[in-house]
Amino acid sequence: MELHTDVTLDADHALARVALVGALNTETAPGFEHSLQQVVAAGHKLIVLDMKDLDYISSAGLRVIFKAAKQARSSGQRMAAANRKPHIDKVFEILKALPDMAVFANDRELDDYLDTMQQRARGD
Amino acid sequence: MGRSIATRLIALLTLCAAAIIGVGMLVDYRLSREQILGRLQHESEETIRTIIGDMENWLRGIEGATNLVARILQQRDYSQPGLQQMLRDMLSSDVDIYGATIALAPGQADSPLGFAPYYFRRNGELVYADLAAPEHNYQQQSWYREAVDAGHALWVEPYYDAGGAQVLMTTYAVPVYRQAASGERFLYAVITADVALQELRAYLQRLHLGDSSFGILLSREGVILSSRHRENLMHHFSATTAGQADPEGWQRMFETAIGGAVATQRLPCESAPGECVFRLGTLQPTGWPVGVVYSEHEILAPLRDFQYKTVAIGLLTLLSMAVAVVLVSRRLTRPLAALAGASDSIARGQLDVALPAVRGDDEVARLIQSFAAMTTDLKTYIADLESATARRSRLEGELSAARDIQMAMLPGQGEASERDETFSLWARVRPARSVGGDLYNYQRRGNRLFIAVGDVSDKGAPAALFMARAMGLIQQLAATASDPAAALGALNDALEQGNDNCMFITLFLGVVDLQSRELRFASAGHTAPSLLRGGAAHAIAQQQGPALGLVAGLQYPGNSLALRNGDRLAIFTDGIDEAFNDRNEMYGMERFNGELAACADEPVAAAGPLLLEAIDRFAADRPQSDDITLMLLDLKAAASATSHALIELDREFLLSPGITGAVHRWLEQALARLAPAPRQDLLLVVEEVVSNIARYAGLPPQAAVGLKLTADPRQVAVEVRDAGTAFDPLREARRASLGESIEDASVGGLGVHLITSLTDRQSYHREDGCNILRIVKFL
Repeated sequence: MELHTDVTLDADHALARVALVGALNTETAPGFEHSLQQVVAAGHKLIVLDMKDLDYISSAGLRVIFKAAKQARSSGQRMAAANRKPHIDKVFEILKALPDMAVFANDRELDDYLDTMQQRARGD
Repeated sequence: MGRSIATRLIALLTLCAAAIIGVGMLVDYRLSREQILGRLQHESEETIRTIIGDMENWLRGIEGATNLVARILQQRDYSQPGLQQMLRDMLSSDVDIYGATIALAPGQADSPLGFAPYYFRRNGELVYADLAAPEHNYQQQSWYREAVDAGHALWVEPYYDAGGAQVLMTTYAVPVYRQAASGERFLYAVITADVALQELRAYLQRLHLGDSSFGILLSREGVILSSRHRENLMHHFSATTAGQADPEGWQRMFETAIGGAVATQRLPCESAPGECVFRLGTLQPTGWPVGVVYSEHEILAPLRDFQYKTVAIGLLTLLSMAVAVVLVSRRLTRPLAALAGASDSIARGQLDVALPAVRGDDEVARLIQSFAAMTTDLKTYIADLESATARRSRLEGELSAARDIQMAMLPGQGEASERDETFSLWARVRPARSVGGDLYNYQRRGNRLFIAVGDVSDKGAPAALFMARAMGLIQQLAATASDPAAALGALNDALEQGNDNCMFITLFLGVVDLQSRELRFASAGHTAPSLLRGGAAHAIAQQQGPALGLVAGLQYPGNSLALRNGDRLAIFTDGIDEAFNDRNEMYGMERFNGELAACADEPVAAAGPLLLEAIDRFAADRPQSDDITLMLLDLKAAASATSHALIELDREFLLSPGITGAVHRWLEQALARLAPAPRQDLLLVVEEVVSNIARYAGLPPQAAVGLKLTADPRQVAVEVRDAGTAFDPLREARRASLGESIEDASVGGLGVHLITSLTDRQSYHREDGCNILRIVKFL
């Protein structure tokens, strides 16, 4: 049971996209926590957790996301989740975890959201 | 108003008054009618008599004047001028006489033609005519000849005077005879007085008896002299329309009248409704029938007026009477109607409704006063009842809460069902009142099944409180003791402490070794359980000690029984064998054992309710008098228990950083045949449990964590065993509150939520220094 993370940044470093591949469980959680801390610390305005290839998540994994979301929030950043598989969704549901975190069912919703954000940023 | 008293009163009084007034007026009417009829009869006859009398007097006046002249001429001679003078005097003195003549008999006059001067009235003047002229030939005239032929005075038949006055006339003719010297009587003259019939008619016209009435005058020959119908004048009655209609009737009347009697006949009226009366009598001097026709309807008009007046007065009286009755009845019954309305309101619960004001001291006033008193009493009563009900419902609420609390002390809250591959158990307690003194308990520790059934003396709240105390002690002491007899002794000592009320409890305490099937038990005055084996049930032999709680320091004998697979043990309280029916018969052990054998093939969860139903059927309407507790325990054949299990794995993992991964892989493989969803859930839950142990159990590295997996087509059970610090994650673990926003949410405390949400049954117990967490997921 392993977890790979792949972080991609957009041109102006406002958006970080963290793709999770594998299982986020008690064993992989500490490593992921370390990676995610670094991404949050980099100060990206929006951090999207892409769970397209995440097969499994336990409460330890959720704890890491939870903690990072809290941290991001306090420093004015936002964290969002995208592409949750049904059983991952179920765990989030049971724990009513992160009710105010933006959730995108698929890439398209995420892209639409990002477009809106960029337009708004340019408008500023 | 409907069928109210007022309506009935009005109807009855009005009817009575109508009857009384009606009878009174009818009697009065009858009497008055007779009187009025008599008076009318009398009046009409009086009228007729008066008028006929007047006519007769008038005719007699003329007769008198003529007879006087006749008597004078009988005795004295007059010259012819003297006779003429006498005639003029006669006409002058009696204006009723139209004309008069003195016709001398032949031979008495100087002239051979005779002597007959005639004076008559024309336009107020006396006119002279000489009837002795040859063209008159008076000796051949009817008046002369009739008088001479009769030899006495008479009224000749009326005739039309063509030569003289040109009117209808009649003549009174008197023959005058003289005595000759020789004594011979000879005719000297005939004296006549003419009268116009219209004078008589004037009298008859006074005969007025209503608009339709008229007088009628006939001659002796039956010629009509006066009638309403002018065209009938001077015609014989048989030639008239009326006469032709009833010739015999007229003839009979005419003959009766001529004979001097009064004839009466009824005939249809011409100008008035109903019948007319025709009365015919005789006009005395002339012998002419004279009569009157009148309408009875018109004569009786005053009577009819009287009738109308009577009816009108009667109706008016009745109406006034009815109005008076209505007013009086309304006034009398108004308070009653108001009272009826008020009682309706009271019946609907409006006790503050206003009652009618009390006036006077009559029955109604007393009724209203009683009603007011009743309302006040009712209010007090209802208030009392409400407060009593409130108190009672509060008590009931408390008792119900107490029952819930008491039941919560028992495994399964009063009804428990437990199944395992080696045994199945069903138990139920049913208190006689809200709360009771019966109890049961069971706990499984590894291969040992601890069971207890007890019965506190007395029922209700005191028993319940003592039971609560006993239950706590049983859980404390008995659950840890492996020797039931020693546990009973310890319980007895504990319960005896401070038991000044001398409450006591009978108790069965047993421990079943699920592997060796040995039952070790002890009984503190409790009924021996029944054993169902090979289709027959009987009480098991036992040595017992006294009930718990009375005397301290007792030793209880221990018992032992070797159970076999397929055995069923029924442990119960005396509420079952001592249940009574209406005929005061006791249910007894025999019936119970019979029923127990009868439902041997049912699983315990079905057999238990059936046994209780059998007791209810027996007791029928008699309420349950004592608390009832029944526990059934089946020991299953080990072969059948394993045959259902698809997987039975037992493995130990050593604590290391990679333990969750190892568990995950092992479990994933073991559950490979399961559907993905339950498999994912179980994997997640077991990982949560194991990572919890790794983190919090305080175990050294490389300590063992045991995992036992049992799966059959219906469920998957995982038992996780660790030797760490005693910790019940189901009760003691911190649980994060869910649904908080990121700012408020705490990190951690999520695992327990996942465990309880994703599996169907979780239980924890500690055994031999180990934490044992068992989780079951239904498939």
